[in-house]
Amino acid sequence: MAEDTQRNFRSVYYEKVGFRGVEEKKSLEILLKDDPLGILPPHHESHAQVMMCRKEQYTDVLHALKVIRFVSDSTPQVDVYLRMYQLESGTLPRSPSFPLEPEDEVFLAIAKAMEEMVEDNVDCYWLIRCFVSQLNNKFRDSLPQLPKAFEQYLNLEDSRLLNHMKMCSAVTKLPYDLWFQKCFAGCLPESSLQRVWDKVISGSCKILVFVAVEILLTFKIKVMALNNAEKITKFLENIPQDSSDAIVSKAIDLWHKHCGTPVHSV
Amino acid sequence: MAQQANISELLSMLDSSALGVLDDITTVFKENLNSDRGPMLVNTLVDYYLETSSQQVLRILTTLQEPHDKHLMDKINEYVGKAATRLPVLSLLGHVIRLQPPWKHKLSQAPLLPSLLKCLKTDTDVVILTTGVLVLITMLPMIPQSGKQYLHDFFDIFGRLSSWCLKNPGHVTEIYLVHLHASVYALFHRLYGMYPCNFVSFLRSHYSMKENLETFEEVVKPMMEHVRIHPELVTGSKDHELDPCRWKRLETHDVVIECAKISLDPTEASYEDGYSVSQQISARFHHRPTDATISPHVDTQNSYGNATSTPYSTPRLALLNTPGQLPQVLSSTTRLSTEPSQATIWSPSSVCGMTTPPTSPGNVPPELSHPYSKVFGTSGGKGTPLGTPATSPPPPCHSDDYVHISPPQAIVMPPKKEDRLDSVRPCLHRQQHLSNDRGLEETSDNKGSVTLRDLPGFLVDLDSEEDSVEKDKEEAAISKELSEITTSDAEPVVPRGGFDSPFYRDSLPCSQRKSHLTSSNTQGPSVSTEPLTSSLDKLGPDTPKQAFTPIDRPCGCASESPAGNRENQTSLETNIFTPSPKIPSQRKVGFGSGQSPPYDHLFEMALPKTAYHFVSKKTEELLKKVKGNTEEDYMPSTSPMEVLDRLIQQGADAHTKELNKLSLPSKSVDWTHFGGSPPSDEIHTLRNQLLLLHNQLLYERFKRQQHALRNRRLLRKVIKATALEEHNAAMKDQLKLQEKDIQMWKVSMQKEQARYNQLQEERDTVVTQLHSQIRQLQHDREEFYNQSQELQTKLEDCRNMIADLRLELKKANNKVCHRELLLSQVSQKLSNSESVQQQMEFLNRQLLVLGEVNELYLEQLQNKHADTTQEVEMMKASYRKELEKNRSHLLQQNQRLDTSQKRILELESHLAKKDHLLLEQKKYLEDVKLQARGQLQAVESRYEAQKRIAQAFELKILDLYGRLEKDGLLKKLEEKTEAAEAAEERLDCCNEGCPDSLVGHNEEAAGRNGETKTPKSGSSRGSSGSRGGGGSSSSSSELSTPEKPPNQRVGPFSSRWETTLETSTSIPVTVGSLPSSKSFLAIKARELFRNKSESQCDEDGLTNNSLSETLKTELYKDPSTEAKAPLGLDNPHPSPKNQESVGQLRIMDYNETQHEPS
Repeated sequence: MAEDTQRNFRSVYYEKVGFRGVEEKKSLEILLKDDPLGILPPHHESHAQVMMCRKEQYTDVLHALKVIRFVSDSTPQVDVYLRMYQLESGTLPRSPSFPLEPEDEVFLAIAKAMEEMVEDNVDCYWLIRCFVSQLNNKFRDSLPQLPKAFEQYLNLEDSRLLNHMKMCSAVTKLPYDLWFQKCFAGCLPESSLQRVWDKVISGSCKILVFVAVEILLTFKIKVMALNNAEKITKFLENIPQDSSDAIVSKAIDLWHKHCGTPVHSV
Repeated sequence: MAQQANISELLSMLDSSALGVLDDITTVFKENLNSDRGPMLVNTLVDYYLETSSQQVLRILTTLQEPHDKHLMDKINEYVGKAATRLPVLSLLGHVIRLQPPWKHKLSQAPLLPSLLKCLKTDTDVVILTTGVLVLITMLPMIPQSGKQYLHDFFDIFGRLSSWCLKNPGHVTEIYLVHLHASVYALFHRLYGMYPCNFVSFLRSHYSMKENLETFEEVVKPMMEHVRIHPELVTGSKDHELDPCRWKRLETHDVVIECAKISLDPTEASYEDGYSVSQQISARFHHRPTDATISPHVDTQNSYGNATSTPYSTPRLALLNTPGQLPQVLSSTTRLSTEPSQATIWSPSSVCGMTTPPTSPGNVPPELSHPYSKVFGTSGGKGTPLGTPATSPPPPCHSDDYVHISPPQAIVMPPKKEDRLDSVRPCLHRQQHLSNDRGLEETSDNKGSVTLRDLPGFLVDLDSEEDSVEKDKEEAAISKELSEITTSDAEPVVPRGGFDSPFYRDSLPCSQRKSHLTSSNTQGPSVSTEPLTSSLDKLGPDTPKQAFTPIDRPCGCASESPAGNRENQTSLETNIFTPSPKIPSQRKVGFGSGQSPPYDHLFEMALPKTAYHFVSKKTEELLKKVKGNTEEDYMPSTSPMEVLDRLIQQGADAHTKELNKLSLPSKSVDWTHFGGSPPSDEIHTLRNQLLLLHNQLLYERFKRQQHALRNRRLLRKVIKATALEEHNAAMKDQLKLQEKDIQMWKVSMQKEQARYNQLQEERDTVVTQLHSQIRQLQHDREEFYNQSQELQTKLEDCRNMIADLRLELKKANNKVCHRELLLSQVSQKLSNSESVQQQMEFLNRQLLVLGEVNELYLEQLQNKHADTTQEVEMMKASYRKELEKNRSHLLQQNQRLDTSQKRILELESHLAKKDHLLLEQKKYLEDVKLQARGQLQAVESRYEAQKRIAQAFELKILDLYGRLEKDGLLKKLEEKTEAAEAAEERLDCCNEGCPDSLVGHNEEAAGRNGETKTPKSGSSRGSSGSRGGGGSSSSSSELSTPEKPPNQRVGPFSSRWETTLETSTSIPVTVGSLPSSKSFLAIKARELFRNKSESQCDEDGLTNNSLSETLKTELYKDPSTEAKAPLGLDNPHPSPKNQESVGQLRIMDYNETQHEPS
């Protein structure tokens, strides 16, 4: 592979020494050449024109929403994104006062997270839009399978913990929506979330399972201390944010361990 | 108290004369003692004894058993402390100790010993001192290990008493001092024998003091002359001799003998193995005194020694021979006529292999005696052991004596002495000497007989006989103890002799008296000895030996002496004898029987040889001794014992003399009868003297017992030794037999060897023969082998030859065949050549013919030759020109070919370039396609968005309309509701329609609409317009129908709305199909596209045709789109609809632009 020669020759040593994240960006770049989200075409020459299109589309949609008074200047950006998405997907309610659907909540969470990551509104909107549509289209079939996979890997890693949760009948009540629908948006800080989402965008939604498993393993002692399913769920929905980076790193290790190492990161 | 009374009663009964009662009471006491462990009875007994000196009580006390010993010791200790009872208690102690009770080892720990020592150190009574010293001396060998603690006490006592002897601080009678001196002498011996190192060091320290020097000179030094250097002084040390280990393995009698060994005093000395040489030396040295006193015996010895050549006699002879003795010797020799032969037979010198038997002393001049003595002394040293191979038991003589009663005894005894260094002889000497001293002037020959005669005058024959017997036995025992060689001078019995002087006197007379008989008698034994030496067989007939046993001696002693004494002798004598404890019990029996014990003969059997020797010697010696005359000589130092001895003898003689003066019956009754009442002092002295003598006697007896014990042991050794000798002899015999066997075997072996050698030689010859045969045969074989080899080679040669011949044959055959072939060929050739010859002939003929023809033609040719040359030249020129022309043509052709080839190459490269370009362009096209697709997608999504926006707007508008109509215009209520419904329906439709199928839908719809609408919207607008109308919406066709009426009704507004809708929807299609660049490639691509679409058009027909048309038109539309944008102002809708209006305008422009070029 031609790209491999261009890559940092120290990458191997980085990993040996334990700097895990150093090469992630590079590998991501390599990955992103294919534009997994489809926002920009791979052809550079058309980037400008396409970006212009995107921008125009964004302004058009925004303008339309403003015209029909769904959004105003005071509307929060996240809601704007939601309305725009709704409009584009044709699911715009008749009135902005209509209650939000569950998928809208998911969108909002993701948008909130994404908003933190990206500065430009247009970029942000497009990223959110494409990310959500990828979740809805590409992972439509695999997402419902994730809870099962989660149970399986947790059993492999720590059967005692799983048994404990089964005893508490907390397994079914775990925050699967938060984990697998919202992709940990709002659960993990954005800096850590980025790394997870990178994997998701690259096409592996299984990473979500490992993050979930790792969260449980990390907070095993606390989880074991809790006997109530509700309490467990509550705790898991509000896990402390300080150890998220470690969790993600460990989750990636776990992912590598169970699903093998992806070729590009070798 | 009753018991006390009872005991005293019993005690009184003890002295009853009735034997039965005595026994009963004794048993009663013993039972009491057994049952009662208290001291009371013992104390009572001791008291009683001290009171009465009862023999019975003494017996009981001396046989006390273990638990009572302590009481006895305590009691004795108590009485020793009291001066009054000291003497009797000491004598009691002496009695007890002499019996060697089983608890004797306790003596050393008992408090009695220190108190005894204290008494000895402090007491001033000579009698007590003497008694105590004797007791101590008796005790010492029993408790040798206790010497450690009391050693210095012993030495102090010795020092005190020795000085006492000299200074006599108590001023006692001289006579006591003699006794004391004797006992001190004994103590000296004992101490020196037991603890030489310590004792010598004591002597050294004690007598280095000036005040003691005199004592040393007077008392101790003479004593020291009688002892040898103790070996312990060399090998031992002070500590070693006190070491208990040293004493552990020695019994009491061993100790006694040990002490006796170092003594040079003939009365004390005793020698055993390993001392012979030194003994001899000492003997020589010591001989003089004895000889001096006992010259007759010396003579006899000499004579005997000469005859027998015993080592002992010879030295003595050499030393002591005096001229006066010669006649006696001669006489003795004459008497013992048989002796010489006998002597020669068994002489040790002969045994030793000495060439020169010792010359008789008689022949030797006195001057020469010394050298001789030396010679013999040395030779004797060797000879003695040989001469007396084993310890010969002296007893036989005794038994002999005993059996034969006195006469033989007397005779037999001396030889014993001679031979075995017995004590008998000294005793005799002494007696004789004493008699001499007494001034009984008699010839030496008769002296013995004279004295003897004197004595028996007082005593009953029987008594004397008995006494002598007893005496003999004692002597025998002693001699036995001194078993081995020992010096000839050993005279251990001296003190006893002193004691027993009465008996000696008795015995000697007896013996002397019967000397006449004895001479004859002794000859019998002596004769018999002769054969004995040669062979043992003759022992049997000899009666004398069989009687003796060492064991029966005591009984003998016991039996005889008291019997005589009691009845017939003075009270003094009785006193002397009574103390002996053994006497009472055995007296009667022994006396009555007077026989040797039944086992006597066993000794004879056991020790035949030695016994016989012993007996024979003794007899001989005695015979000589009897004849011996006394000879007074200078005594360098007399042993205290001898002094005492002499004193006693003198006393006894005096006594007897005195007694002789009295009538026999009155003698025992009263002293006063012959000397008036004797002075009490005298009596006291005498009593004490008697007591002392008694003590001495008892001490000597004890010593004798020890010797007896030792004797028994030695005897056992002798028996063993002889048995071993016998065994050895037997073994030797066996050995001889075996050697014989071996010899026989050797001889037979030699024979066998010879045979074997012979056989081997035979075999060898056969073998060599066979070998030679084999060799010959082998040789033959080899020859044959060689021959066969030769033959084989020959055969091979022949074969080769045959093969060669065959080959040659083949070759020959071949040659023959070849020749035949050649022959046939040759024949063929021959035939051919024949035919050729024929042809040649024919040809020759032809040749001839042709030659003729040729000649003919030549003639013709010469005629025609001139005309042809011009023609030929012209033709040549024409040909040349033609050739050149062709050549130039060829050149031309070549050039053309080159150019064409170049051209081809050029074209080919061009083609390749073009191909490459084409490939590049294809790539680029792909690239562009991708780019376009991306843009297209973007635009599509934008279009989608626009559509959604439009829908939203529509919805909003309709909503607003709904509201408006509701609020404001009541008359249009119905219409409005319809419109609202329609709008709602449309919205529903939109919602239902999938985005995926939208395009297809549109196309279908477009198709339908196109068909349906073309007539309606007019042909002028062209296909694009119709297309636009078709693309307006999927539902538009449906809508159109219901919409028409309102449209018509509403008028231009509604129609416009419709059109806008239609146009707006059509926009994306047109836009999407537009490639934006105007490059050559793009144009080309578009052409390609066009061709494609055209071909499609052909197939699809109208609808598609219109699509291609739109594509075409769009090529030219692009630049104009923006320019026509302001036209959108015509749009009746307000500003929000700008975008759509642009799309509308564009379509309109398009239409216009289409018109413009067209």
